[in-house]
Amino acid sequence: MPKKALVVDDNPDVRLLSVSLLEKNGYSPLVAEDGESALRMIKAEKPDLVILDVLMPLRSGVRLYHELKTAKSLKDIKVIVLGEIAKKAFLRSQKALTESGGADIPEPEIYLEKPVEPEALAEAIKKVLD
Amino acid sequence: MEIKKLLFVTKFEQLGFDSLRSLLNLRDGALEHVVFINVIERDRVAMRRGTGYQKDEEARLREAANIRFIDWAENLFEQGMEVGVYIVVGVLVPEVIKASRKEDADLIVIGRSHKGVLEHLYSGSDVIELLRRSWTPVLVYKHLSETAISVEEPFDRPLLAIDWSPSSLRAVEYLKALKDVVEEINLVHVVSEEDLNGASATAISKTSKEARKKLEKICKDFEVAGIRAKEHVHVGDPDDEIEKAAKDCQATLIVLGSSAKTAWVEKWLGSTPQKIAEESIYPTLIVPPERDPQKPAAN
Repeated sequence: MPKKALVVDDNPDVRLLSVSLLEKNGYSPLVAEDGESALRMIKAEKPDLVILDVLMPLRSGVRLYHELKTAKSLKDIKVIVLGEIAKKAFLRSQKALTESGGADIPEPEIYLEKPVEPEALAEAIKKVLD
Repeated sequence: MEIKKLLFVTKFEQLGFDSLRSLLNLRDGALEHVVFINVIERDRVAMRRGTGYQKDEEARLREAANIRFIDWAENLFEQGMEVGVYIVVGVLVPEVIKASRKEDADLIVIGRSHKGVLEHLYSGSDVIELLRRSWTPVLVYKHLSETAISVEEPFDRPLLAIDWSPSSLRAVEYLKALKDVVEEINLVHVVSEEDLNGASATAISKTSKEARKKLEKICKDFEVAGIRAKEHVHVGDPDDEIEKAAKDCQATLIVLGSSAKTAWVEKWLGSTPQKIAEESIYPTLIVPPERDPQKPAAN
C-alpha cells in the first residue's frame, strides 16, 4: 500500500505541484482546498503526511496544525508546513494558542516558506516519508 | 448574535491595519476570527487589444495584496487569533457577499465608497449596494483623517437610532451581545416633522412622550444586560437629527437598522441608513432584518 499524503492548499498551482511530486515518488495523494474539509479528510483517511498551507478559507493552517497536534489520534501524523508567514511567527502563534489553554505543541517536521522550489519540496517529502 | 467572525474588506488605501486594530476590542466580546478580503476589480486585469488578459498584472496585484495580508496575519496569529484571507478577481459586492456567506461572518467591515459623482450616478455606490444585498450587519468605517474626530474604538459609545422597524429592534439584540465591549449606549428616536405636519403642540408632546417611554423600556433591557443606556427623543429631519444626537452624546459609532424601502425606491429617493452610511462623519453600523428562510437568497 502506498503511503497517503494530504495536500491542503487553496492555491491550485501549489496543489498541482505537490500532487505531481507525490505521484512521481510513489505516494498516494489526497487534496483539500480549505482547513475545514482538510480536517474532515484527515479524520476519515488518517494520512501519513499532511502538506499544509497557512492562510486559507474557513480554517487556517495555524489552527489546523494545533488541532492535529492536540488530538490523541492524530498527533503522530507528520506535517510539512508550506507557510506564507515566517516560521518564527508560526511558532509564536502555536505558543499563543497553547497559552490560551492548550498543551505544548511540537514543531512541524519541516517548515518551508513560500514561494518554495519544487526540488526543496520533493526533498522534504522524501525526508519525512522515507 | 455575537460577533465571532469579522470580514474585513480592504483596498488598502481606504482601510488599513490601524482601522482593524481599533476594532480588536471586540475580542473582549466574542471576536476570535478575522477574514481579510481584497477584490481585484476585473477591469484592472481585463482583456486589452493587442495584449489579451493581463495575467502579469493580476499576479502583481495578488502578490502586493498577499504581502500586506501576511504582515497583518502574522500580527493577529501571534495574538492567538484565527485569520483567513481571500484575494479574488471579480466584482466587489458579489465577491464580498460570497465570502461572507461561505465564512458565515457576523460582521462585514468596509470603507466609505470613494467613487466620484459621475460613477455614483452611473453605477451607484458599492457600499450602498452591499447594504442592500447583505443579510450580515455591515460596518461602514470612516477613517480618522477623513472625519477629524477621534474614534479610538468605534464600539465604545454607540448611538442607536431606533424607528421600531424589525431591523432596528434586531440592532438592539446585536448590541446587547456586546456588553463587554460597549461602555455606554445612547438611544435616539427621531419624530419626523413630516409625520407631525399640522399636529398641535399637545399632540407633538404626546408623541414625544410615548416614544420616550418606549425607549426607556429598551434602556432598561440594556441595563439588565449590563450596559449603561440613555434615551433621547428628537423632532426634525432624521438624517440631520441623528447626526446631531451623535455629536451631542459624543458617540463613537451610529447604529441603524437597514431601510425597509425597496431597492428601486431607495435608489431614487434614498433612505436614512443609506445617507448616514455615506455622508455621516461617524462610523456607521447597519443591521439588516432577520433573514426570512422562506425567501430565496438575494445574495
